[in-house]
Amino acid sequence: MMLDMASLRTIRLLPVLALALAATSPALADAIVCKPNYDYSVEVDGSYPKNATLYQAASPGMYYVDVPACKTGLLMDMKARKVVAVPREQIKQVDGGLQMNDTAPPTATAYALAVDGPFVQFQAEDKKVRILRCLDRPPIVGAVEMDTLVADRPEYREGMREYAPKGESIAALNKYTKKVQIDAFFATWCPHCKEYMPKFLRVVSEVKNPNIKVNLYGVPKGFTQAPGPWQGRNINSIPTIIVKIDGREITRMGSQPGAVPETELADIFGAVR
Amino acid sequence: MDAATEAHALQRNARWPSWRGGLGHAGRILLGAIFLFSGIAKGLTPSEFTQQVAGYGILGPRLTALAAPALIVFEIVLGVALVCAVRPVLTAGASIVLLLIFIGIEAYGLSAGRTEACGCFGAYSSRTPAEVIGEDLLFVLLGAIAIWGSRGWEGLRAGGAGAVLVASLLISTAFVVASPSLPFFNIPVITRLAPGAVLADLKLEKRLPALAEGRHLVALFDVTDARAAGIATTLNALAATQGAPPILGLTPSTEQEIDAFLWTAVPAFEVKRIDREVIPVLYRRLPRFFLVDSGRVTAVYDGAPPEAKDLL
Repeated sequence: MMLDMASLRTIRLLPVLALALAATSPALADAIVCKPNYDYSVEVDGSYPKNATLYQAASPGMYYVDVPACKTGLLMDMKARKVVAVPREQIKQVDGGLQMNDTAPPTATAYALAVDGPFVQFQAEDKKVRILRCLDRPPIVGAVEMDTLVADRPEYREGMREYAPKGESIAALNKYTKKVQIDAFFATWCPHCKEYMPKFLRVVSEVKNPNIKVNLYGVPKGFTQAPGPWQGRNINSIPTIIVKIDGREITRMGSQPGAVPETELADIFGAVR
Repeated sequence: MDAATEAHALQRNARWPSWRGGLGHAGRILLGAIFLFSGIAKGLTPSEFTQQVAGYGILGPRLTALAAPALIVFEIVLGVALVCAVRPVLTAGASIVLLLIFIGIEAYGLSAGRTEACGCFGAYSSRTPAEVIGEDLLFVLLGAIAIWGSRGWEGLRAGGAGAVLVASLLISTAFVVASPSLPFFNIPVITRLAPGAVLADLKLEKRLPALAEGRHLVALFDVTDARAAGIATTLNALAATQGAPPILGLTPSTEQEIDAFLWTAVPAFEVKRIDREVIPVLYRRLPRFFLVDSGRVTAVYDGAPPEAKDLL
Protein backbone atom coordinates (compact mmCIF):
# COMPACT_ATOMS: atom_id res chain seq x y z
CA MET A 1 0.00 0.00 0.00
CA MET A 2 1.45 3.37 -0.95
CA LEU A 3 1.12 6.22 1.54
CA ASP A 4 0.75 9.83 0.45
CA MET A 5 2.92 12.66 1.85
CA ALA A 6 0.22 13.84 4.26
CA SER A 7 -0.05 10.41 5.85
CA LEU A 8 3.72 10.11 6.11
CA ARG A 9 3.94 13.50 7.87
CA THR A 10 1.24 12.37 10.28
CA ILE A 11 3.09 9.16 11.04
CA ARG A 12 6.33 11.08 11.73
CA LEU A 13 4.48 13.35 14.12
CA LEU A 14 2.94 10.51 16.16
CA PRO A 15 5.85 10.06 18.61
CA VAL A 16 5.92 13.80 19.24
CA LEU A 17 2.20 13.81 19.90
CA ALA A 18 2.55 10.87 22.29
CA LEU A 19 5.22 12.67 24.29
CA ALA A 20 3.10 15.79 24.47
CA LEU A 21 0.13 13.80 25.73
CA ALA A 22 2.24 12.10 28.36
CA ALA A 23 3.55 15.42 29.61
CA THR A 24 0.11 16.92 30.01
CA SER A 25 -1.90 13.97 31.35
CA PRO A 26 -1.87 13.14 35.09
CA ALA A 27 0.96 10.84 36.22
CA LEU A 28 -1.41 7.87 36.71
CA ALA A 29 1.40 5.33 36.40
CA ASP A 30 2.98 6.81 39.56
CA ALA A 31 -0.24 7.05 41.56
CA ILE A 32 -0.85 5.10 44.73
CA VAL A 33 -4.40 4.03 45.40
CA CYS A 34 -5.16 3.16 49.00
CA LYS A 35 -8.21 1.48 50.48
CA PRO A 36 -9.18 1.83 54.14
CA ASN A 37 -8.16 -1.09 56.35
CA TYR A 38 -10.39 -1.20 59.41
CA ASP A 39 -8.55 -4.14 60.96
CA TYR A 40 -6.16 -1.52 62.33
CA SER A 41 -6.73 1.49 64.54
CA VAL A 42 -4.84 4.76 64.60
CA GLU A 43 -4.00 5.95 68.09
CA VAL A 44 -3.06 9.62 68.37
CA ASP A 45 -1.58 10.80 71.67
CA GLY A 46 -3.35 7.98 73.50
CA SER A 47 -6.80 8.50 72.05
CA TYR A 48 -8.63 7.25 68.99
CA PRO A 49 -9.96 10.15 66.92
CA LYS A 50 -13.12 9.19 65.09
CA ASN A 51 -11.89 9.65 61.52
CA ALA A 52 -8.27 8.63 62.03
CA THR A 53 -7.89 5.83 59.50
CA LEU A 54 -5.21 3.55 58.10
CA TYR A 55 -5.37 3.05 54.34
CA GLN A 56 -3.52 0.22 52.65
CA ALA A 57 -2.01 0.50 49.16
CA ALA A 58 -1.78 -2.31 46.64
CA SER A 59 2.01 -1.98 46.81
CA PRO A 60 3.26 -4.11 49.67
CA GLY A 61 4.41 -2.12 52.66
CA MET A 62 2.78 1.16 51.64
CA TYR A 63 0.11 2.70 53.84
CA TYR A 64 -1.52 6.07 54.18
CA VAL A 65 -2.39 7.30 57.65
CA ASP A 66 -5.06 9.94 57.88
CA VAL A 67 -4.87 11.84 61.16
CA PRO A 68 -7.45 14.65 60.93
CA ALA A 69 -5.56 16.79 63.42
CA CYS A 70 -2.42 16.73 61.28
CA LYS A 71 -1.99 19.38 58.59
CA THR A 72 -0.67 16.84 56.11
CA GLY A 73 -1.43 13.28 55.20
CA LEU A 74 1.14 10.65 56.18
CA LEU A 75 2.46 8.10 53.70
CA MET A 76 4.01 5.18 55.56
CA ASP A 77 6.66 3.14 53.74
CA MET A 78 7.45 0.00 55.72
CA LYS A 79 10.31 -1.05 53.44
CA ALA A 80 12.06 2.30 53.86
CA ARG A 81 10.90 2.51 57.48
CA LYS A 82 9.76 6.09 57.15
CA VAL A 83 6.67 8.26 57.06
CA VAL A 84 6.48 11.07 54.53
CA ALA A 85 4.20 14.06 54.81
CA VAL A 86 1.88 14.43 51.82
CA PRO A 87 0.08 17.74 51.24
CA ARG A 88 -3.63 17.14 51.52
CA GLU A 89 -4.28 18.92 48.24
CA GLN A 90 -2.40 16.09 46.50
CA ILE A 91 -4.78 13.49 47.84
CA LYS A 92 -7.88 12.71 45.84
CA GLN A 93 -10.92 10.71 46.78
CA VAL A 94 -11.42 7.81 44.40
CA ASP A 95 -13.84 4.93 44.40
CA GLY A 96 -13.85 3.78 48.04
CA GLY A 97 -10.34 5.04 48.72
CA LEU A 98 -7.70 7.68 48.18
CA GLN A 99 -5.19 8.36 45.42
CA MET A 100 -1.89 10.19 45.64
CA ASN A 101 1.48 10.31 43.91
CA ASP A 102 4.09 7.92 45.17
CA THR A 103 6.86 10.38 44.39
CA ALA A 104 7.18 12.80 47.27
CA PRO A 105 8.46 16.31 46.57
CA PRO A 106 12.11 16.74 47.64
CA THR A 107 11.10 19.16 50.39
CA ALA A 108 8.59 16.76 51.97
CA THR A 109 9.05 16.18 55.67
CA ALA A 110 9.95 12.62 56.60
CA TYR A 111 9.63 10.97 59.99
CA ALA A 112 11.31 7.80 61.19
CA LEU A 113 9.08 5.01 62.33
CA ALA A 114 9.68 2.17 64.75
CA VAL A 115 8.24 -1.31 64.81
CA ASP A 116 7.61 -2.66 68.29
CA GLY A 117 6.28 -6.19 67.84
CA PRO A 118 2.76 -5.80 66.49
CA PHE A 119 2.79 -1.99 66.75
CA VAL A 120 4.13 0.71 64.47
CA GLN A 121 4.81 4.08 66.01
CA PHE A 122 6.11 7.40 64.91
CA GLN A 123 5.92 11.05 65.78
CA ALA A 124 4.53 13.47 63.23
CA GLU A 125 3.79 17.17 63.78
CA ASP A 126 4.36 16.68 67.53
CA LYS A 127 1.75 13.97 67.67
CA LYS A 128 2.55 10.45 68.80
CA VAL A 129 0.91 8.10 66.39
CA ARG A 130 0.62 4.39 66.89
CA ILE A 131 -0.84 1.83 64.52
CA LEU A 132 -2.27 -1.23 66.21
CA ARG A 133 -4.77 -3.95 65.47
CA CYS A 134 -8.28 -2.82 66.39
CA LEU A 135 -8.59 -5.89 68.62
CA ASP A 136 -5.77 -4.52 70.77
CA ARG A 137 -7.53 -1.28 71.62
CA PRO A 138 -8.82 -0.89 75.17
CA PRO A 139 -12.06 -2.86 75.16
CA ILE A 140 -15.59 -1.59 75.52
CA VAL A 141 -16.84 -3.00 78.82
CA GLY A 142 -20.38 -3.06 80.14
CA ALA A 143 -23.72 -2.07 78.64
CA VAL A 144 -23.33 -0.13 75.42
CA GLU A 145 -25.78 1.39 72.98
CA MET A 146 -25.47 0.27 69.39
CA ASP A 147 -24.96 3.81 68.10
CA THR A 148 -22.10 4.36 70.53
CA LEU A 149 -20.48 1.05 69.62
CA VAL A 150 -20.73 1.67 65.90
CA ALA A 151 -19.41 5.22 66.22
CA ASP A 152 -16.44 4.07 68.25
CA ARG A 153 -15.53 0.97 66.24
CA PRO A 154 -15.15 1.49 62.48
CA GLU A 155 -14.45 -2.23 61.99
CA TYR A 156 -18.00 -2.95 63.22
CA ARG A 157 -19.43 -0.13 61.15
CA GLU A 158 -17.81 -1.40 57.97
CA GLY A 159 -18.71 -4.99 58.73
CA MET A 160 -22.34 -3.93 59.08
CA ARG A 161 -22.19 -2.05 55.81
CA GLU A 162 -20.76 -5.05 53.96
CA TYR A 163 -23.30 -7.55 55.27
CA ALA A 164 -26.57 -8.03 53.41
CA PRO A 165 -29.15 -9.90 55.53
CA LYS A 166 -31.73 -12.09 53.85
CA GLY A 167 -34.89 -10.11 53.24
CA GLU A 168 -37.33 -12.92 53.96
CA SER A 169 -35.74 -13.57 57.36
CA ILE A 170 -35.89 -9.88 58.25
CA ALA A 171 -39.54 -9.83 57.22
CA ALA A 172 -40.24 -12.82 59.47
CA LEU A 173 -38.53 -11.10 62.41
CA ASN A 174 -40.57 -7.94 61.82
CA LYS A 175 -43.83 -9.88 61.93
CA TYR A 176 -43.16 -11.66 65.21
CA THR A 177 -45.70 -10.73 67.86
CA LYS A 178 -44.27 -12.16 71.09
CA LYS A 179 -42.08 -10.12 73.45
CA VAL A 180 -38.43 -10.82 72.76
CA GLN A 181 -35.39 -9.77 74.74
CA ILE A 182 -31.96 -10.44 73.31
CA ASP A 183 -28.88 -9.99 75.49
CA ALA A 184 -25.69 -10.04 73.43
CA PHE A 185 -22.38 -10.54 75.23
CA PHE A 186 -19.35 -9.86 73.09
CA ALA A 187 -15.85 -8.39 73.22
CA THR A 188 -14.13 -5.84 71.07
CA TRP A 189 -10.90 -7.79 71.61
CA CYS A 190 -12.34 -11.04 70.28
CA PRO A 191 -11.72 -11.94 66.58
CA HIS A 192 -14.81 -14.15 66.46
CA CYS A 193 -16.96 -11.28 67.73
CA LYS A 194 -15.41 -8.97 65.16
CA GLU A 195 -16.58 -11.33 62.46
CA TYR A 196 -20.01 -12.14 63.89
CA MET A 197 -21.24 -9.05 65.69
CA PRO A 198 -21.35 -6.71 62.66
CA LYS A 199 -23.67 -9.20 60.96
CA PHE A 200 -25.82 -9.42 64.06
CA LEU A 201 -25.87 -5.63 64.47
CA ARG A 202 -26.84 -5.17 60.84
CA VAL A 203 -29.78 -7.49 61.41
CA VAL A 204 -30.75 -5.59 64.55
CA SER A 205 -30.58 -2.29 62.71
CA GLU A 206 -32.90 -3.57 59.97
CA VAL A 207 -35.49 -5.11 62.25
CA LYS A 208 -38.12 -2.49 63.17
CA ASN A 209 -40.20 -4.66 65.49
CA PRO A 210 -41.07 -2.85 68.76
CA ASN A 211 -41.56 -6.25 70.43
CA ILE A 212 -37.85 -7.02 70.10
CA LYS A 213 -35.43 -5.41 72.53
CA VAL A 214 -31.68 -5.88 72.19
CA ASN A 215 -29.14 -5.22 74.94
CA LEU A 216 -25.43 -5.17 74.16
CA TYR A 217 -22.75 -5.91 76.74
CA GLY A 218 -19.03 -5.66 76.16
CA VAL A 219 -16.93 -8.01 78.29
CA PRO A 220 -13.30 -7.60 79.38
CA LYS A 221 -10.53 -10.17 79.08
CA GLY A 222 -10.79 -12.71 81.86
CA PHE A 223 -14.51 -11.98 81.98
CA THR A 224 -15.36 -15.29 83.65
CA GLN A 225 -13.71 -14.01 86.79
CA ALA A 226 -14.46 -10.30 86.47
CA PRO A 227 -17.59 -8.74 88.02
CA GLY A 228 -20.19 -7.48 85.61
CA PRO A 229 -23.59 -8.15 84.03
CA TRP A 230 -22.23 -11.40 82.57
CA GLN A 231 -21.79 -12.89 86.05
CA GLY A 232 -24.32 -15.50 87.04
CA ARG A 233 -25.49 -15.91 83.43
CA ASN A 234 -23.28 -18.92 82.62
CA ILE A 235 -21.39 -17.05 79.92
CA ASN A 236 -18.34 -19.20 79.12
CA SER A 237 -17.55 -18.09 75.61
CA ILE A 238 -18.21 -15.10 73.41
CA PRO A 239 -20.11 -14.02 71.53
CA THR A 240 -23.10 -15.37 73.41
CA ILE A 241 -26.50 -14.13 72.31
CA ILE A 242 -29.21 -15.03 74.84
CA VAL A 243 -32.70 -15.11 73.36
CA LYS A 244 -35.65 -14.77 75.71
CA ILE A 245 -39.24 -14.96 74.54
CA ASP A 246 -41.98 -13.83 76.92
CA GLY A 247 -39.42 -13.69 79.71
CA ARG A 248 -38.19 -17.27 79.26
CA GLU A 249 -34.72 -18.10 77.94
CA ILE A 250 -35.20 -20.11 74.78
CA THR A 251 -31.73 -20.57 73.38
CA ARG A 252 -28.27 -19.08 72.98
CA MET A 253 -26.63 -18.20 69.71
CA GLY A 254 -22.93 -17.96 69.04
CA SER A 255 -20.54 -17.58 66.18
CA GLN A 256 -19.85 -20.36 63.71
CA PRO A 257 -18.08 -20.11 60.36
CA GLY A 258 -20.66 -18.90 57.85
CA ALA A 259 -23.24 -17.98 60.51
CA VAL A 260 -26.42 -16.27 59.28
CA PRO A 261 -27.90 -14.60 62.38
CA GLU A 262 -31.14 -13.40 60.77
CA THR A 263 -32.01 -16.90 59.58
CA GLU A 264 -31.10 -18.40 62.92
CA LEU A 265 -33.29 -15.90 64.74
CA ALA A 266 -36.15 -16.40 62.30
CA ASP A 267 -35.95 -20.16 62.87
CA ILE A 268 -35.98 -19.65 66.65
CA PHE A 269 -39.01 -17.39 66.46
CA GLY A 270 -40.70 -19.79 64.07
CA ALA A 271 -40.30 -22.60 66.57
CA VAL A 272 -41.91 -20.57 69.39
CA ARG A 273 -45.36 -19.41 68.34
CA MET B 1 3.44 -67.10 95.36
CA ASP B 2 3.39 -70.26 97.61
CA ALA B 3 1.37 -73.34 96.76
CA ALA B 4 -1.46 -72.55 99.22
CA THR B 5 -1.88 -69.03 97.96
CA GLU B 6 -1.73 -70.18 94.36
CA ALA B 7 -4.31 -72.83 95.06
CA HIS B 8 -6.53 -70.20 96.71
CA ALA B 9 -6.15 -67.89 93.75
CA LEU B 10 -6.97 -70.65 91.32
CA GLN B 11 -10.00 -71.59 93.36
CA ARG B 12 -11.18 -67.99 93.48
CA ASN B 13 -10.66 -67.58 89.77
CA ALA B 14 -12.54 -70.75 89.15
CA ARG B 15 -15.53 -69.36 91.09
CA TRP B 16 -15.51 -66.13 89.03
CA PRO B 17 -17.86 -66.21 86.14
CA SER B 18 -15.96 -66.13 82.83
CA TRP B 19 -18.03 -63.15 81.68
CA ARG B 20 -16.58 -61.06 84.49
CA GLY B 21 -13.07 -61.76 83.32
CA GLY B 22 -14.15 -61.16 79.75
CA LEU B 23 -15.61 -57.77 80.66
CA GLY B 24 -12.44 -56.93 82.52
CA HIS B 25 -10.32 -57.79 79.49
CA ALA B 26 -12.62 -55.83 77.19
CA GLY B 27 -12.54 -52.77 79.43
CA ARG B 28 -8.78 -52.96 79.83
CA ILE B 29 -8.03 -53.40 76.14
CA LEU B 30 -10.53 -50.74 75.05
CA LEU B 31 -9.23 -48.23 77.57
CA GLY B 32 -5.65 -49.07 76.60
CA ALA B 33 -6.45 -48.55 72.91
CA ILE B 34 -8.06 -45.20 73.69
CA PHE B 35 -5.02 -44.03 75.64
CA LEU B 36 -2.69 -45.27 72.93
CA PHE B 37 -4.61 -43.57 70.15
CA SER B 38 -4.98 -40.38 72.12
CA GLY B 39 -1.30 -40.30 73.03
CA ILE B 40 -0.16 -40.95 69.46
CA ALA B 41 -2.56 -38.27 68.12
CA LYS B 42 -1.12 -35.73 70.53
CA GLY B 43 2.40 -36.92 69.75
CA LEU B 44 1.95 -36.10 66.07
CA THR B 45 1.89 -32.38 66.93
CA PRO B 46 3.32 -32.03 70.43
CA SER B 47 3.61 -28.26 69.97
CA GLU B 48 -0.15 -27.96 69.53
CA PHE B 49 -0.77 -29.99 72.67
CA THR B 50 1.71 -27.79 74.54
CA GLN B 51 -0.31 -24.77 73.40
CA GLN B 52 -3.48 -26.36 74.72
CA VAL B 53 -1.91 -27.12 78.09
CA ALA B 54 -0.56 -23.57 78.26
CA GLY B 55 -4.06 -22.30 77.57
CA TYR B 56 -5.25 -23.54 80.93
CA GLY B 57 -2.90 -21.13 82.64
CA ILE B 58 -2.12 -23.60 85.43
CA LEU B 59 1.60 -24.08 84.74
CA GLY B 60 4.15 -21.50 83.68
CA PRO B 61 5.69 -21.67 80.21
CA ARG B 62 8.78 -23.66 81.23
CA LEU B 63 6.83 -26.24 83.20
CA THR B 64 4.31 -26.51 80.39
CA ALA B 65 7.09 -27.17 77.87
CA LEU B 66 8.20 -30.11 80.04
CA ALA B 67 4.85 -31.34 81.30
CA ALA B 68 3.06 -31.54 77.96
CA PRO B 69 5.50 -33.95 76.23
CA ALA B 70 5.84 -35.93 79.47
CA LEU B 71 2.08 -36.32 79.60
CA ILE B 72 2.03 -37.62 76.01
CA VAL B 73 4.72 -40.19 76.81
CA PHE B 74 2.91 -41.25 79.97
CA GLU B 75 -0.37 -41.64 78.09
CA ILE B 76 1.25 -43.87 75.42
CA VAL B 77 3.08 -46.01 77.99
CA LEU B 78 -0.11 -46.40 80.00
CA GLY B 79 -2.00 -47.41 76.87
CA VAL B 80 0.61 -50.04 75.99
CA ALA B 81 0.67 -51.31 79.57
CA LEU B 82 -3.11 -51.71 79.58
CA VAL B 83 -3.24 -53.48 76.23
CA CYS B 84 -0.36 -55.81 77.15
CA ALA B 85 -1.85 -56.50 80.60
CA VAL B 86 1.08 -55.20 82.62
CA ARG B 87 -0.20 -55.32 86.22
CA PRO B 88 -3.74 -54.73 84.93
CA VAL B 89 -5.30 -53.60 88.20
CA LEU B 90 -2.50 -51.14 88.90
CA THR B 91 -2.43 -49.69 85.39
CA ALA B 92 -6.22 -49.42 85.27
CA GLY B 93 -6.04 -47.63 88.60
CA ALA B 94 -3.36 -45.29 87.27
CA SER B 95 -5.50 -44.54 84.23
CA ILE B 96 -8.44 -43.63 86.47
CA VAL B 97 -6.21 -41.30 88.48
CA LEU B 98 -4.99 -39.67 85.26
CA LEU B 99 -8.54 -39.27 83.99
CA LEU B 100 -9.66 -37.72 87.25
CA ILE B 101 -6.81 -35.23 86.97
CA PHE B 102 -7.94 -34.40 83.41
CA ILE B 103 -11.51 -33.97 84.63
CA GLY B 104 -10.32 -31.66 87.39
CA ILE B 105 -8.38 -29.55 84.92
CA GLU B 106 -11.32 -29.34 82.50
CA ALA B 107 -13.63 -28.39 85.36
CA TYR B 108 -11.17 -25.68 86.35
CA GLY B 109 -11.07 -24.52 82.75
CA LEU B 110 -14.86 -24.51 82.62
CA SER B 111 -15.07 -22.30 85.68
CA ALA B 112 -12.15 -20.00 84.93
CA GLY B 113 -12.38 -19.73 81.16
CA ARG B 114 -9.49 -21.26 79.25
CA THR B 115 -7.47 -21.86 76.14
CA GLU B 116 -8.09 -18.91 73.87
CA ALA B 117 -9.33 -16.04 75.92
CA CYS B 118 -12.72 -15.91 74.23
CA GLY B 119 -13.50 -19.49 75.23
CA CYS B 120 -12.85 -21.18 71.90
CA PHE B 121 -11.19 -24.54 72.00
CA GLY B 122 -7.90 -26.07 70.85
CA ALA B 123 -6.84 -28.04 67.81
CA TYR B 124 -7.92 -31.42 69.16
CA SER B 125 -10.97 -30.29 70.94
CA SER B 126 -13.83 -29.07 68.85
CA ARG B 127 -15.93 -30.09 71.84
CA THR B 128 -16.98 -28.11 74.91
CA PRO B 129 -15.34 -28.77 78.31
CA ALA B 130 -18.60 -30.35 79.48
CA GLU B 131 -18.47 -32.83 76.60
CA VAL B 132 -14.84 -33.64 77.35
CA ILE B 133 -15.66 -34.23 81.03
CA GLY B 134 -18.55 -36.50 80.08
CA GLU B 135 -16.29 -38.48 77.80
CA ASP B 136 -13.61 -38.82 80.49
CA LEU B 137 -16.20 -40.07 82.96
CA LEU B 138 -17.09 -42.85 80.53
CA PHE B 139 -13.41 -43.78 80.35
CA VAL B 140 -13.28 -43.83 84.16
CA LEU B 141 -16.13 -46.31 84.02
CA LEU B 142 -14.11 -48.47 81.60
CA GLY B 143 -11.20 -48.36 84.02
CA ALA B 144 -13.46 -49.40 86.87
CA ILE B 145 -14.75 -52.33 84.80
CA ALA B 146 -11.17 -53.30 83.99
CA ILE B 147 -10.25 -53.32 87.70
CA TRP B 148 -13.40 -55.21 88.68
CA GLY B 149 -12.84 -57.84 86.02
CA SER B 150 -9.09 -58.21 86.53
CA ARG B 151 -8.87 -58.46 90.31
CA GLY B 152 -6.59 -61.24 91.38
CA TRP B 153 -4.98 -61.56 87.98
CA GLU B 154 -1.33 -60.60 87.74
CA GLY B 155 -1.28 -60.23 84.00
CA LEU B 156 2.04 -60.30 82.14
CA ARG B 157 4.92 -61.85 84.03
CA ALA B 158 7.47 -59.52 85.66
CA GLY B 159 10.22 -59.92 83.05
CA GLY B 160 7.88 -59.38 80.15
CA ALA B 161 6.16 -56.49 81.89
CA GLY B 162 9.43 -54.72 82.52
CA ALA B 163 10.51 -55.17 78.92
CA VAL B 164 7.19 -53.80 77.64
CA LEU B 165 7.38 -50.77 79.90
CA VAL B 166 10.98 -49.93 79.06
CA ALA B 167 10.47 -50.43 75.33
CA SER B 168 7.28 -48.33 75.24
CA LEU B 169 8.94 -45.59 77.29
CA LEU B 170 11.94 -45.41 74.96
CA ILE B 171 9.92 -45.58 71.75
CA SER B 172 7.28 -43.07 72.85
CA THR B 173 9.92 -40.61 74.08
CA ALA B 174 11.79 -40.89 70.79
CA PHE B 175 8.51 -40.45 68.91
CA VAL B 176 7.50 -37.30 70.79
CA VAL B 177 10.96 -35.76 70.44
CA ALA B 178 11.36 -36.64 66.76
CA SER B 179 7.83 -36.22 65.43
CA PRO B 180 8.11 -32.51 64.51
CA SER B 181 11.09 -33.38 62.30
CA LEU B 182 9.70 -36.49 60.67
CA PRO B 183 8.74 -35.60 57.11
CA PHE B 184 6.27 -38.34 56.40
CA PHE B 185 3.61 -37.19 58.84
CA ASN B 186 2.24 -34.84 56.24
CA ILE B 187 1.02 -37.85 54.27
CA PRO B 188 -2.68 -38.03 53.34
CA VAL B 189 -3.40 -40.79 55.86
CA ILE B 190 -2.65 -38.40 58.69
CA THR B 191 -3.78 -35.11 57.21
CA ARG B 192 -6.50 -34.57 54.61
CA LEU B 193 -4.46 -32.22 52.49
CA ALA B 194 -3.67 -34.01 49.26
CA PRO B 195 -4.32 -33.50 45.54
CA GLY B 196 -8.01 -33.99 44.90
CA ALA B 197 -9.20 -32.77 48.29
CA VAL B 198 -11.94 -30.14 48.20
CA LEU B 199 -12.44 -27.22 50.54
CA ALA B 200 -15.11 -29.04 52.53
CA ASP B 201 -12.64 -31.88 53.21
CA LEU B 202 -10.22 -29.32 54.61
CA LYS B 203 -12.84 -27.47 56.69
CA LEU B 204 -12.11 -24.38 54.62
CA GLU B 205 -15.37 -24.12 52.65
CA LYS B 206 -16.98 -21.64 55.04
CA ARG B 207 -13.79 -20.18 56.42
CA LEU B 208 -12.24 -19.24 53.05
CA PRO B 209 -15.03 -19.19 50.46
CA ALA B 210 -12.87 -17.11 48.09
CA LEU B 211 -10.77 -20.22 47.40
CA ALA B 212 -13.74 -21.78 45.64
CA GLU B 213 -13.16 -19.62 42.58
CA GLY B 214 -10.08 -19.32 40.46
CA ARG B 215 -6.56 -20.50 41.24
CA HIS B 216 -4.78 -19.74 44.49
CA LEU B 217 -1.51 -20.67 46.08
CA VAL B 218 -1.99 -21.20 49.80
CA ALA B 219 1.07 -21.00 52.02
CA LEU B 220 0.88 -22.65 55.44
CA PHE B 221 3.68 -21.40 57.63
CA ASP B 222 4.50 -20.15 61.09
CA VAL B 223 5.23 -16.43 60.93
CA THR B 224 7.39 -16.74 64.06
CA ASP B 225 9.60 -19.34 62.40
CA ALA B 226 13.14 -18.20 61.60
CA ARG B 227 12.47 -19.17 57.97
CA ALA B 228 9.35 -16.97 57.68
CA ALA B 229 11.16 -13.92 56.30
CA GLY B 230 12.83 -16.05 53.62
CA ILE B 231 9.50 -17.66 52.75
CA ALA B 232 7.97 -14.19 52.41
CA THR B 233 10.76 -13.10 50.07
CA THR B 234 10.26 -16.15 47.85
CA LEU B 235 6.50 -15.73 47.84
CA ASN B 236 6.83 -12.02 47.08
CA ALA B 237 8.88 -12.92 44.01
CA LEU B 238 6.21 -15.44 42.98
CA ALA B 239 3.49 -12.84 43.51
CA ALA B 240 5.31 -10.53 41.12
CA THR B 241 5.52 -13.22 38.41
CA GLN B 242 3.10 -12.62 35.58
CA GLY B 243 0.46 -15.31 35.39
CA ALA B 244 1.06 -16.59 38.92
CA PRO B 245 -2.07 -17.16 41.00
CA PRO B 246 -2.84 -14.94 43.98
CA ILE B 247 -1.18 -16.08 47.18
CA LEU B 248 -2.81 -16.47 50.58
CA GLY B 249 -0.78 -17.10 53.72
CA LEU B 250 -2.33 -19.13 56.54
CA THR B 251 -0.65 -19.33 59.91
CA PRO B 252 -1.46 -20.72 63.37
CA SER B 253 0.28 -17.73 64.93
CA THR B 254 -1.57 -15.10 66.92
CA GLU B 255 -2.87 -11.87 65.41
CA GLN B 256 -0.10 -9.96 67.16
CA GLU B 257 2.56 -12.25 65.70
CA ILE B 258 1.02 -11.79 62.27
CA ASP B 259 1.21 -8.03 62.64
CA ALA B 260 4.84 -8.16 63.70
CA PHE B 261 5.51 -10.26 60.59
CA LEU B 262 3.58 -7.89 58.33
CA TRP B 263 5.50 -4.85 59.49
CA THR B 264 8.93 -6.47 59.21
CA ALA B 265 8.75 -8.98 56.35
CA VAL B 266 6.37 -6.79 54.26
CA PRO B 267 4.66 -9.64 52.42
CA ALA B 268 3.02 -8.96 49.09
CA PHE B 269 0.17 -11.29 50.00
CA GLU B 270 -2.51 -11.50 52.62
CA VAL B 271 -1.80 -13.48 55.78
CA LYS B 272 -4.67 -14.87 57.82
CA ARG B 273 -4.81 -16.70 61.06
CA ILE B 274 -5.84 -20.30 60.78
CA ASP B 275 -8.45 -21.69 63.11
CA ARG B 276 -6.95 -24.25 65.49
CA GLU B 277 -9.69 -26.70 64.64
CA VAL B 278 -8.39 -26.85 61.07
CA ILE B 279 -4.73 -27.47 61.92
CA PRO B 280 -4.78 -31.29 62.23
CA VAL B 281 -6.63 -31.49 58.90
CA LEU B 282 -3.99 -29.52 57.03
CA TYR B 283 -0.56 -30.33 58.41
CA ARG B 284 1.71 -31.87 60.98
CA ARG B 285 4.84 -30.06 59.91
CA LEU B 286 5.35 -26.62 58.42
CA PRO B 287 5.89 -25.01 56.01
CA ARG B 288 3.48 -26.46 53.53
CA PHE B 289 2.03 -25.04 50.32
CA PHE B 290 -0.82 -26.11 48.13
CA LEU B 291 -2.45 -25.03 44.88
CA VAL B 292 -6.21 -24.74 44.77
CA ASP B 293 -8.14 -24.53 41.54
CA SER B 294 -11.88 -23.84 41.78
CA GLY B 295 -11.96 -25.20 45.30
CA ARG B 296 -9.99 -28.39 44.61
CA VAL B 297 -6.39 -29.05 45.64
CA THR B 298 -4.25 -29.76 42.59
CA ALA B 299 -0.78 -29.95 44.12
CA VAL B 300 0.88 -29.98 47.53
CA TYR B 301 4.46 -28.91 48.28
CA ASP B 302 6.21 -29.66 51.54
CA GLY B 303 9.09 -27.67 52.98
CA ALA B 304 9.47 -25.01 50.30
CA PRO B 305 7.23 -22.98 47.99
CA PRO B 306 6.77 -24.20 44.42
CA GLU B 307 8.83 -22.68 41.66
CA ALA B 308 7.33 -20.16 39.31
CA LYS B 309 7.23 -22.67 36.46
CA ASP B 310 5.00 -24.93 38.56
CA LEU B 311 2.44 -22.16 38.89
CA LEU B 312 2.14 -21.00 35.30
